[in-house]
Amino acid sequence: MAEPDFEARLTRLFAEAPSFPDAALFNAEVSAKLDRGWAMRRLFIGAAGVAAGLIAAFQILSTRFSSEIAQISRDGSHGIENEINAGYAKVASVFTSPGSVEAVWLAAGLALVALAFAVTRAVEEL
Amino acid sequence: MGMERPPTGHDIELAARAAGGDRQAYGELVRRHGSAVRGLLRRLGADSAAADDLAQDAFLTGFEQCAEFRGEGTFGAWIKKIAARLYLKKVKREARLIFSDAVEPVEAIGRTDASGDAASRIDLDEALKALSRGERLCVSLCYGADWSHAEAAEALNIPLGTVKSHVKRGLDKLRARLARPEDGARREAHG
Repeated sequence: MAEPDFEARLTRLFAEAPSFPDAALFNAEVSAKLDRGWAMRRLFIGAAGVAAGLIAAFQILSTRFSSEIAQISRDGSHGIENEINAGYAKVASVFTSPGSVEAVWLAAGLALVALAFAVTRAVEEL
Repeated sequence: MGMERPPTGHDIELAARAAGGDRQAYGELVRRHGSAVRGLLRRLGADSAAADDLAQDAFLTGFEQCAEFRGEGTFGAWIKKIAARLYLKKVKREARLIFSDAVEPVEAIGRTDASGDAASRIDLDEALKALSRGERLCVSLCYGADWSHAEAAEALNIPLGTVKSHVKRGLDKLRARLARPEDGARREAHG
């Protein structure tokens, strides 16, 4: 049976950390990996923000676009050529009407801000 | 630009700051406990390169999970448990966890300056070399990483009795190797 004082001595011996000549290098490597991981996380968050902004912009546009198409198909009494021309005109108006333009520019602006933030933080961290 | 002073304070305080994303505070914890974790992994049986890689992984994992450290034990014991778990995962993955009685060569651990406490540590590291892989692993987990026999049995996926017998045989060997002159004199006096 193990003697309690020997076990206590063994626990004490295990608790005494050996000294390593490259301890400072080890600490620096861990710190560098921590910093890199942090930078990657920020970059990932920024990229996710950009992707979300772009998806939102496309959603806004496609919603407007599908409602315009539905409107065109309802006006079925016109000739096909007139139909196409009217369609083009209406689709073009989606991009040029003041409300749509604002939405697109707003989404693009937000995406750019998110991207700029992510890049700045990443450069700062690296 | 002056040199930044390292953060000060108790481990629990530094860990709380690290949980909030303070990497400097965590860096101080790495500085305080890095050698202990590296030493433990070598004592468990990892070679020096693998031990250092695992120690780094353990500290990175520790940073991620720092919020889970509530100061119930010491930070040192907590991070050592993470390191030991990573080591066991690695040996299981590599299917190298074989509990034979063969004694495997182990690399030297840390600096070998033979004075005072350092000499005791070298004694321990030398003595551990006489243990089989299973004995060394079980003794190091229970006495170096502060695991209970039950925790070791569960992590190693072996019966509790096997862990206990490995620990007992390991302790017997270590006791013989680490015997001090006064231990012999005490035994004679009692005998």
